[in-house]
Amino acid sequence: MTDATRIRGRQTGFSRRHFLGLAGQTGIATVAARAIGWNLGLVEILSAATGKGAVAPFSFAIITDSHLFSIPNHKFDKALEDAVAQVNALAPAPDFVVYTGDIAQNGKEDQLVKGKSILAKLKMPLKAIPGEHDWYLDLGKAWNGLFGRETWSFDHKGVHLIGLNSILVRDFWTGAGLSAQQRMGTMEMLESPIAGPWGVRDVQLEFLRKDVAKLGAGTPIVIFTHSPLWDYYPRWNFQTEDAPQIREILSKFDHVVSMHGHVHQTIFNKIGNLSSAGALSTSWPWPYPPVQLEYPGSQMNQADPANTKDGMGTQVVNLDSVSGGVLNYEPFANSLSPWLKEGVKV
Amino acid sequence: MNTISTLSRHGLAIGAIGAGLLAAATISARAPFTDAQIAEQQQELLEVVNRGRDLWHGSNPEMSHNGLACGNCHPDAAASNPQTFPKWVPQLNAVAPMREMINWCIVHPQDGNQLDVNSADMVALEAYAVYLYRGEKLQPGFTLPTPPVPVKSGVGYPYKSSGLGVDK
Repeated sequence: MTDATRIRGRQTGFSRRHFLGLAGQTGIATVAARAIGWNLGLVEILSAATGKGAVAPFSFAIITDSHLFSIPNHKFDKALEDAVAQVNALAPAPDFVVYTGDIAQNGKEDQLVKGKSILAKLKMPLKAIPGEHDWYLDLGKAWNGLFGRETWSFDHKGVHLIGLNSILVRDFWTGAGLSAQQRMGTMEMLESPIAGPWGVRDVQLEFLRKDVAKLGAGTPIVIFTHSPLWDYYPRWNFQTEDAPQIREILSKFDHVVSMHGHVHQTIFNKIGNLSSAGALSTSWPWPYPPVQLEYPGSQMNQADPANTKDGMGTQVVNLDSVSGGVLNYEPFANSLSPWLKEGVKV
Repeated sequence: MNTISTLSRHGLAIGAIGAGLLAAATISARAPFTDAQIAEQQQELLEVVNRGRDLWHGSNPEMSHNGLACGNCHPDAAASNPQTFPKWVPQLNAVAPMREMINWCIVHPQDGNQLDVNSADMVALEAYAVYLYRGEKLQPGFTLPTPPVPVKSGVGYPYKSSGLGVDK
């Protein structure tokens, strides 16, 4: 990772929480003035006050990949409850929370209901997109009934936010005569080659084209998918097949932030105008796949298997007009490498 | 009483007997394995590896009482690092082979019943992990994180490129 992608707040003694706290109290222009007065390193970010656009600084949180089982009092239930409590305790409070998929492990309705009931304890509004573990038992019927449409967009304080279902695969079950349970079981296995690559497919690509058609290039965009919008490790479906088309549609914008789940790890990438970041899960951490990364510094330390909370957690993204955003991982245990604790510019 | 010449004679005699035995052994050795036999032996191994892959993904319910399988945290046996065992395992407070680490994972993260370390299931689990790490340099005791191996093949897992390439 290059210096340009890091936030140097901690090095200058000016933390994200200071920034957010002050921004909340006084407005960003005043904070910028204070920052200049204190000769602090975040001036280039806080110059958002004079930048284009009309983004009022705000933050949102991401919770993802809880993989709830039907077993009562399962340890993952508690992990999701901890995540909800952690997000509720953030100060200042995020404006909303996005759940980026895999709340269930086997796609069962009771698992989805349990997840929704835990997430209902959030103090702020929730938006959600599905993961493959939520979807392939009944092809989204229960998920849609509980969480609504999986394709959405809305504007918030000058930022345009989009959610897409990126786990759609070609029909591999009808010809093979698989039952719903067999279909779900095939999709549950990370390294299964049977289903082939995932994607958002034509209907959602058309939605996206229409959705952004009238937006100006300066509009900050945040897009949420379960899988990354770049070809990270296709064998584990750390990819979205039609991500190149998505990036093409969004190429007219100055800056796009892509937040995704699925990978259960800290990861960052940048392609053109699109910054991507992966989210910590609340269930278990996955090892890094064997690929060369352009931003290897985005890897966290290997999780300690004896610590049941290591390598898991939530995350919060702070947005303003110019920087695009600052992602802070909020791990349950102290598992981040030192500079990740300072936040990542996305 | 042994003299130098007596010892020499004994030595010659022993040498002659040894050469005779060697010749006899060469004559009576089994024939080399045929290609068909080697293929059959390899197939036996791959069948055990394939059974290990199924166990790795939850085919023995006794190994997990909370739904978790080895593959949840170790897809493609990633971060299992069989090439580093035996090594000091902090959880066991001892130098231990991989089989005991597998049992630790079965008992703790998976809340299951541990296996007999010499059972067929344990051999299959070990065979699966070792097979995916074949060709890796042995590094017993190495404890730093090691990168997972690129999986090029394996029973049930023919390597097939996505054709998508890697984005930069």
